[in-house]
Amino acid sequence: MYQYSEQDHQLLLERVSQFRGQVARRLKGELSEEEFKHQRLRNGLYLQLHAYMLRVAIPYGLLSSEQMRTLAHIARKYDKGYGHFSTRQNIQYNWPKLEDVPDILDDLAKVEMHAIQTSGNCIRNTTSDPLAGVARDEIEDPRPYCELIRQWSTFHPEFNFLPRKFKIAVSGATHDRAAVAVHDIGLRLVKNETSEEIGFEVYVGGGLGRTPMLGKVIRKYLPKQDMLTYLEAILRVYNMLGRRDNIYKARSKILVHETGEEKFRELVEAEWEKIKAGGLFLRDEDFKWVKGFFNDPAYEALPDQDADFENLMLSNADFARWVDKNIELHKQSGYRIVYLSLKTALQPPGDVTADQMDAIADLADKYSLGHIRTTHRQNLVLSDVQLKDLPALWEELKALDLATPNYNHVTDIISCPGLDYCALATARSIPISQAITARFDDYDFINDLGDVSINISGCINACGHHHVANIGILGVNKKGTEVYQLTLGGSAREDAAIGKIIGPAFEADEIVDAVGKVLSVYLESREDPEETFLMAYRRLGQAPFKERLYG
Amino acid sequence: MALQVYTASLLKEGLVAYLALENGHPSWTSDIHQATVSEGDALDALKKAAEQSEQENIVVAPYAIDVLKTEDGIVAATKREQIRADGPTIGLPQDNLRESRQAA
Amino acid sequence: MDNYIKDRKIDSNEWMPFTGLEDGGSLPAGDIYVPLEEWLNARETLLTRNGRLGIALRNTDDPAIIKDDLERLDLVVLEFPKMADGRAFTQARLLRERYGFKGEIRATGDVLYDQLFYMQRCGVNGFELRDDQNASHSLKAFDEMTVTYQPAFDEELPLWRRHK
Ligand code: HEM
Ligand code: SF4
Repeated sequence: MYQYSEQDHQLLLERVSQFRGQVARRLKGELSEEEFKHQRLRNGLYLQLHAYMLRVAIPYGLLSSEQMRTLAHIARKYDKGYGHFSTRQNIQYNWPKLEDVPDILDDLAKVEMHAIQTSGNCIRNTTSDPLAGVARDEIEDPRPYCELIRQWSTFHPEFNFLPRKFKIAVSGATHDRAAVAVHDIGLRLVKNETSEEIGFEVYVGGGLGRTPMLGKVIRKYLPKQDMLTYLEAILRVYNMLGRRDNIYKARSKILVHETGEEKFRELVEAEWEKIKAGGLFLRDEDFKWVKGFFNDPAYEALPDQDADFENLMLSNADFARWVDKNIELHKQSGYRIVYLSLKTALQPPGDVTADQMDAIADLADKYSLGHIRTTHRQNLVLSDVQLKDLPALWEELKALDLATPNYNHVTDIISCPGLDYCALATARSIPISQAITARFDDYDFINDLGDVSINISGCINACGHHHVANIGILGVNKKGTEVYQLTLGGSAREDAAIGKIIGPAFEADEIVDAVGKVLSVYLESREDPEETFLMAYRRLGQAPFKERLYG
Repeated sequence: MALQVYTASLLKEGLVAYLALENGHPSWTSDIHQATVSEGDALDALKKAAEQSEQENIVVAPYAIDVLKTEDGIVAATKREQIRADGPTIGLPQDNLRESRQAA
Repeated sequence: MDNYIKDRKIDSNEWMPFTGLEDGGSLPAGDIYVPLEEWLNARETLLTRNGRLGIALRNTDDPAIIKDDLERLDLVVLEFPKMADGRAFTQARLLRERYGFKGEIRATGDVLYDQLFYMQRCGVNGFELRDDQNASHSLKAFDEMTVTYQPAFDEELPLWRRHK
């Protein structure tokens, strides 16, 4: 994990005292709300439906146990005892007071955390693969590149007042667990076919919101040394040419779309030519330095089997189910990756209590080398658990309600806060996710359905990623009632796709049934259990689903 | 003409507040039932008081909402404003966990 | 008071904006700056004057248009029409870093305390503060942050290479 230098610390302290000053000026009335808004947003502070909301950055989704304990402490001391892990791998607090925020930031700074650029029209927290560094399908660990991007983008003087927010995601594996295609810039680590050198495939202009678009590949291969100069060139073109006349047309996706992919590429490449030899050109020593922070931990040499583990697999069906659903193979023999499901029928998706956070921190220390990761599907990961520890870990997770065996299954629902918290919402989303979870809370059914995603957003801004779910649900306000639109066929993985709206919206009390019907069409029509929902939908098209829903 | 009250967020806390006007003296309350209800031209007094509070940095972004007078007192007309008045419609996570543990 | 900062000091603004060329009147003496279109239309006339000369760019103008004229100019005025509109940050960097402009780059418009630090990093050294801003207080903004990660006009190298 990256270790702060003295200067990194210094920067956080300066930032906190700067923000303390901004808050003081606001409270005294020296800053108008309009002007303060730009400042507070650059520090992740929104004014929401019920209260302020503070979004804390978790750079590329990596947390130490100590940091997790601080998050718990903040939830307890300044909030109502819980936090919400978001689809951008960050955490949000729903109830902080403006006066307290500088103190919260002080507490965060002590553990090398902050809320810098978690909101506002600037370069946001860079997201990545939650399995970075431990995945079997990894080409190279993306985190060192993410860290370079983090440093480059933090308080970038030129790109702090962009036309709109700007999101970057980096994936280092063959399977895309970072949704690179729906980011303003997506970087996929690839090997050059001829030289075996590492570089990036570069996507630009992806985004969700009211006009969802998948990113376009503007460069098939970018040498890794050129990563930052190329990013700077893209941002510069965007800063100068991105639309500022209409907030709904200001994202990079619209610029790329309106300029045309080819022309946009030319603009970027022309700018890049002029700066590629500049100070941001990365050298071997830079990579060596940054990679030093992400060396493999001291793994023990272990066999990839364990008698107690295997016995429990045979004797305890619940354990076997959990292993089947929530455990992933690790690159290191004798280790496993464990998903902590934040999707129970009890809590809103992504919500974690302070007590759970503390307990998770303890589990990370005890079983997983002290690290925790957050995922863009709003779950957590313990990345380095020894096979032999799985039975004990399972017992502890069960007691914490964090062992629901549903990772990437139907009740692993992404949901934004919706109208229960969000000032922009047009409908509630959490109660819908809870109703769906309650309805399908049967392991055999979940298991039989296999790999399927349901995502819910409470308005067209699409924070819940509904466009890229196999089954997407969008809450809309129709003449004062909350109704829900269904989209089918989306995907956020390497086969990324934007789902299509299937027909007229459903009332709140109909939407769960509608989802049930969609699922039953799949179960009845699939060729065999190997054919996933998405594969079947792609084969069948909308017709049979439409027929069942509206016929 | 619809009945209305003025609402805003408190600058310091961010919490939802409603304007009560008593003998021309404005105060802000978290309880919608305590809000001063008005309609038509009489709303102007509320509007003025609300804007005054905004200038004095007590509240942020005041606006008027439609309300209904019911047996239970004042109720906001829209779902959004009902949720603002009453809080999230779902329990806080620890409450949900506690209930389930007790049930178990 | 001009509410004007130059090179981190409160200063008086000696420059006059001038747009009146089309009236056929005579050119004023002293230091003037003109909109880009005036410059493109009346370049030769403007160059016959004795006073110093500046150009005001809109934030949609590509600074490359004046790159060959920069040696004759002492001032380029950039606009920040509202705080959220950050195009001129790029213009400033291009003027300095790509085209080597040595004169004053001046920020006008919504020039507010919390942007001064970033503006300075991009090469802006003249600041016409918005009327409601307090100039002597604003001087503090330049030193609020001392750590900078990325290269810009003020730093050639990223932080991670500087300390080695
Ligand atoms: C509660 C306060 C929130 C507000 C006010 C808010 C606001 C917005 C807005 C306005 C957009 C549309 C941006 C655009 O394309 O122009 C957006 C998109 C997005 N937000 Fe949020 N959001 C909030 C919470 C969240 C949460 C909780 C998450 C994660 C669960 C999230 C993640 C995202 C993502 C992933 C997108 C869409 C992807 C994209 O196009 O970049 N946001 N949000
Ligand atoms: S999708 Fe809409 S309702 Fe949901 S968090 Fe985003 S802005 Fe709020």
